[in-house]
Amino acid sequence: MMVFLCENSPEGIFSGVYDAWMSRLGHKNVSLAVQGEYNYTLFSQCREVEACSWKAEKVVKAVREKISELAYSWIYRCALSPEPGRADVIYRFLIYGFHIGSGVTGYLQIPEVHGAFAMNRAVADEAHLLMEFVRFEELAGGILFAPINPKNDVTALLMPHFCDRMPEERFIIYDEKRKRAGVHTGGREWYFVSGEETRPLSELAGKTDRGEYAVLWRAFFSSIAVPERKNPVCQRSHLPLHFRSRMTEFQQQADGKSGK
Amino acid sequence: MLIQENLSTEEKLKILTGAARYDVACTSSGVGRSGKEGSLGNSRPDGICHSFAADGRCISLLKILFTNQCIYDCRYCINRRSNDTVRTAFTPDEICRLTIEFYRRNYIEGLFLSSGVLDTPDYTMEQLYRTLYLLRNKYCFNGYIHVKAIPGADPALIEMTGFLADRMSVNLELPTADGLKRLAPGKTREKILTPMRQIQLGIVRQMEKEGRQLPPGASSVLKEGIPFFSQEKEGRASLPGVRGNTRKNFPERAVSRQGVIPGKSVYGGFGMGRISNRRSYFVPAGQSTQLIVGATSESDYHMMRVAEALYQNFGLKRVFYSAFIRVNDDSLLPELPGGPPLLREHRLYQADWLMRYYGFQAGELLDERRPNFNIYLDPKCDWALRNLALFPVEINRAPYEVLLRVPGIGVKSAMRIVSARRQTALRFEDLKKIGVVLKRAVYFIMCSGRMMESVPIDEDAIADRLIGAERKKNLELGGSGLYRQLSLFDDFHLEAVKK
Ligand code: SF4
Repeated sequence: MMVFLCENSPEGIFSGVYDAWMSRLGHKNVSLAVQGEYNYTLFSQCREVEACSWKAEKVVKAVREKISELAYSWIYRCALSPEPGRADVIYRFLIYGFHIGSGVTGYLQIPEVHGAFAMNRAVADEAHLLMEFVRFEELAGGILFAPINPKNDVTALLMPHFCDRMPEERFIIYDEKRKRAGVHTGGREWYFVSGEETRPLSELAGKTDRGEYAVLWRAFFSSIAVPERKNPVCQRSHLPLHFRSRMTEFQQQADGKSGK
Repeated sequence: MLIQENLSTEEKLKILTGAARYDVACTSSGVGRSGKEGSLGNSRPDGICHSFAADGRCISLLKILFTNQCIYDCRYCINRRSNDTVRTAFTPDEICRLTIEFYRRNYIEGLFLSSGVLDTPDYTMEQLYRTLYLLRNKYCFNGYIHVKAIPGADPALIEMTGFLADRMSVNLELPTADGLKRLAPGKTREKILTPMRQIQLGIVRQMEKEGRQLPPGASSVLKEGIPFFSQEKEGRASLPGVRGNTRKNFPERAVSRQGVIPGKSVYGGFGMGRISNRRSYFVPAGQSTQLIVGATSESDYHMMRVAEALYQNFGLKRVFYSAFIRVNDDSLLPELPGGPPLLREHRLYQADWLMRYYGFQAGELLDERRPNFNIYLDPKCDWALRNLALFPVEINRAPYEVLLRVPGIGVKSAMRIVSARRQTALRFEDLKKIGVVLKRAVYFIMCSGRMMESVPIDEDAIADRLIGAERKKNLELGGSGLYRQLSLFDDFHLEAVKK
């Protein structure tokens, strides 16, 4: 068994798919893993895969043309999952994908297809929830700032959504766990900042927003609920508790200038 | 009436939010529009919820009244003239600033602006128009706007407002003309249906102009061939054009029935769906209305017939149901010792869903002899139990429309079955992966000619088991369309459907 060890990014994993496929060792004799997540076992050899944009692009192009856009969106999201098996799940799915063609995403009874589907859905679901629940705070100079702490690496899925709707705003979505921020300074483009450069951001995260509009939003939030219909169980099922610490409306106004 | 002139924005916001909360609609769906340079906002066809209030309901829009002053005295309404409450009004600029600043922080998808009737319907409508005009032009807001059309306002004002809004609504509130007369003395059915028809006509004309496919029946609307009123008979739906449904045997009918297109309403989409961000359209997200449940004595059957008529004849995108809450102590209002009729409201949403996306007709779910929904069973299970002779259906052969009628199979899972079975015949264990709720479906299906082993087939035994499963769920009442606008199917959202 030859294990291809990929860098932890879509580009890295897709490069691994390319190398494994082109190795001609046979699908049964190869597997993919992400560097740092693989436990060395007896009887297998490892090969480090260098992330390489032309390889990744070749894979992406082949998937989009020979399978479908939907299949591409699946593998892209899978690559953002934290699941240790993600690289191999993508590879196994693509074996069926290239064999069956565009219909493959309909065949959920095939375990390899269902595996990719389920993993992709977990990522899509979290991205969707964050699109709903992420809250920006206004920093000095009108910059909007949103700290997040997602299980999946969804920043790249969130940024295009907000770039489209707020082309004139400067905003930052900061992943506290991965110490990486998506930054938008205008127009439709955005870029990543990571490592040391994000240090000032980590100091900003986790504070209660006391801005004028945060206070107004909390006033709206408590007035809009119909008291006769109070239903915390229902509220919790739609808005799980772990999101709330970062949501303006659940932060305590308390100390200082609280609403009288 | 106590009118407060110098309240802070926060105080006004509390009052005018509290006054708006009994309107249940809070969806931001029905229109897809990209963002554009120089503006703030876009709109997604499936809508986005942003929070969930303590009552468990979705918050998507900044839902407020322009003012809670009102010249009318509707019995059920917290803002009625005779109530001794603090009255106030926003200025258009205040509303714009709140909308923009909330939107930038990702609190909301847009604005839902309603109002009490200040001085005259025309004056009120003018204020709403001015607010929307400012918001779109001075504040360059390109997000979602839902606005009320005030009954009795000049059609020209409604028309102008409609070109700035995404969705408009006029609330029918009470299903019968008689109920309106008793509880909403300032309103008549004609006054409410007139703007509704105007909006429908505007939507259809625009769809025609843009070369969109017109929904069934729309061309007769253009010719204004549908009258407002039919003869009102005792205990019957009194909106025009409601056809009785007498045919019973579903397989042939469901197959031959057109219009059950996966993910689309069988009533057709009165609205534009995806639109350009360069032009303005008239109410591109379609119109909606609200019915109060339980303020008057109509049966569920009556409510569903009225809803059906609203969908068929007025091209509504959504009918919302709002469990009556007794905010005023008034001898004409029913006492509700058990609290608002939430379960009933929930059943109506389920049935509404079945009518729009599953091709059920009101007359199949209920009838004059059985005019109310089963408290223990959802309307689809209930229907299936009463029609056991039509089951079991074969998963590997039954057409989409028939699969849809199986309890435990929804729009998504029916679509998945149809595509998955092209590859290989499906087995029971595959169905779970596909999203079928086997616990409910097993009594009604076969895979390759066989039912699951040891499954009871007599009505009572099935009913027992289904009720056990249902009881747990109802404690939360979380599944109705009211709570979450994961109404993936309000408009065709490809990604969601393919998943
Ligand atoms: S018109 Fe009737 S329902 Fe509307 S605000 Fe006035 S009193 Fe309330």
